[in-house]
Amino acid sequence: MKTSVMTRVVARVLLVPALVVALAILIKGYADTGDGFNAGVIAALGMLLQYVAFGYEEAERMMPVRLVAVIAFGGLLLSLAVALLPLFWGLAIFTHVPGPGEEVIHLGTVELITPVVFDIGVFMLVFGFAVGAIDLLARAIHRRET
Amino acid sequence: MIVFTLGLTWTLAVLLSLLDGRKHPVGGIALGGLAAGFAGLLVLGWEVFTNGPVTMVAGGWPPGVGITLRADALGVTFAVLSVGVILIALAYEAVSGIESRTFPALAMFMAAGLTGLFLTGDAFNFYVFFEIAMIAAYALTGYGERARQLRAAFIFAVVNLLGSVLFLIGVGALYHLTGTLDMRMIAERVAAAQPNAALLTAVAIFVAFSLKLGLFPFHYWLPAVYTGVRPSVAAMLSGALANIGSYGLLRFGGELLPQELEMGATALFVLGTTSIIYGALQAVSRRTMTEVLAYSAIGQVGYILIALGIGGPVGFAAAVVYAIINSLNKLLLFLAAGLRGWMVGAAFAVGAFSVAGVPPAAGFLGKLVLFQASLAVESVALVALIFIGGALSFVYSFQIYQRVFWKPQARAYKISPSTARLLVAGVAGLLLFAGAWPEPLLALGQRAAAAVLLGGAP
Repeated sequence: MKTSVMTRVVARVLLVPALVVALAILIKGYADTGDGFNAGVIAALGMLLQYVAFGYEEAERMMPVRLVAVIAFGGLLLSLAVALLPLFWGLAIFTHVPGPGEEVIHLGTVELITPVVFDIGVFMLVFGFAVGAIDLLARAIHRRET
Repeated sequence: MIVFTLGLTWTLAVLLSLLDGRKHPVGGIALGGLAAGFAGLLVLGWEVFTNGPVTMVAGGWPPGVGITLRADALGVTFAVLSVGVILIALAYEAVSGIESRTFPALAMFMAAGLTGLFLTGDAFNFYVFFEIAMIAAYALTGYGERARQLRAAFIFAVVNLLGSVLFLIGVGALYHLTGTLDMRMIAERVAAAQPNAALLTAVAIFVAFSLKLGLFPFHYWLPAVYTGVRPSVAAMLSGALANIGSYGLLRFGGELLPQELEMGATALFVLGTTSIIYGALQAVSRRTMTEVLAYSAIGQVGYILIALGIGGPVGFAAAVVYAIINSLNKLLLFLAAGLRGWMVGAAFAVGAFSVAGVPPAAGFLGKLVLFQASLAVESVALVALIFIGGALSFVYSFQIYQRVFWKPQARAYKISPSTARLLVAGVAGLLLFAGAWPEPLLALGQRAAAAVLLGGAP
């Protein structure tokens, strides 16, 4: 299946904005609209566009899709760690650091709090899983066509 | 301690999914981890039974804002039972050689899901853990990866996804009615809700759990799945995963929607009776062992439904005791179905005794508590039903025992590894032991029933 030049250019141009939007939604998610799940889906859609426009082989050459399983399970582990680590200080699971009402370190407008780390884990899981699934499907279709 | 078991199994599940489960050490790690989780659950159970329910609110938020994890007598009992069953099934598979790289991880995910589900105090969280366990089960059903198993996995996934959607609708409706997802608060507020809406919700939840359990009108998927999968997976499905159904009916029916349960008692009796008779008759007429066991499973859950319909401390205690015994029976029979050798024949006979409700096996105890429960409501029909059901199960268990273990083998068979046979014999020993010394089991049932009736209050 050959796509037109127009499609390919648009797909390529849209990839970076998609990732940036995903990043914005991810780090602002805790205080604003959005979270790791939405960010993961948006970023994965950006990747899906590459698969549609360039085909399976080209897309795989462009991006390190082999790593998606590690990304997905790494994300799950990261989220679990954020949930479980407070136990070692005798706190309930999912306790925020810094807690409600405490001083938060700002990096520009980004707030550095542990729920953001949890969301990053969720993002990695969703993104890794979605891209992995897309890759698997694309590979199956590719195999049937050739 | 709640989080220890949950966190341990979950983290291990993630780590194991990155490793190749066919290698020996990986199976060993999985077994060791699951055994540690099981030990943790036993400790937690000890705490719950001596000091009352253990509660933890996520994030240290005040109750009502945060999501609660709560272990009470009922939840802990089912958690210990289910994780124990998975542990034995995993050990069984590990000694006979794991064939798939994902098997240990999936078994672990299932254990994590089930632990979470039995130890959560939040209706939506219940759904989430339930899905974790179910998704692991879908993948496990396909274990073996032959056409038969994949077909079974497909049926299983489609039917159970329907059940999940129904359950999610039920949870949504509960939230709509009561404005909360915390189980205790739902139990407090649902009495004030509109009765019709509450009844509809109860029906949706009941149908969802009946699908999981494989009760009579919702049973159509069960024989195809149980005959298609491998013995160890069948043992996990019917010994551990099916507990979701009995636990869910007890928790949501007995604790959260008690009025609706009372209203539906007649329906429960009718469905339970049909399940028992239908399952037993079908089982009598079947030839292959797994088919008989599958239909027997349909019949056995009917008894749990009857006990639930009777209700009150006696009925709920009977339901818990019967669920425990039934789950151990199924574990033993399905595992024994995959083995050959003299010890297995004896173990299978114990399991068959237990299903038929003949002393000294624990199944006798199950039938006994049901008798007591039916006498408590002074129903001759129920007593007669349990008697007929027992007689029929006696027929089919021994038919199959004769056919499989007595018949001179036409071709030479391979005797299975002795560790696997020892494992099965161990489960049989446990059933005999529970039958010979029933007090702990009965006390357990009463404590769990009390937890249901109190709405989890200490």
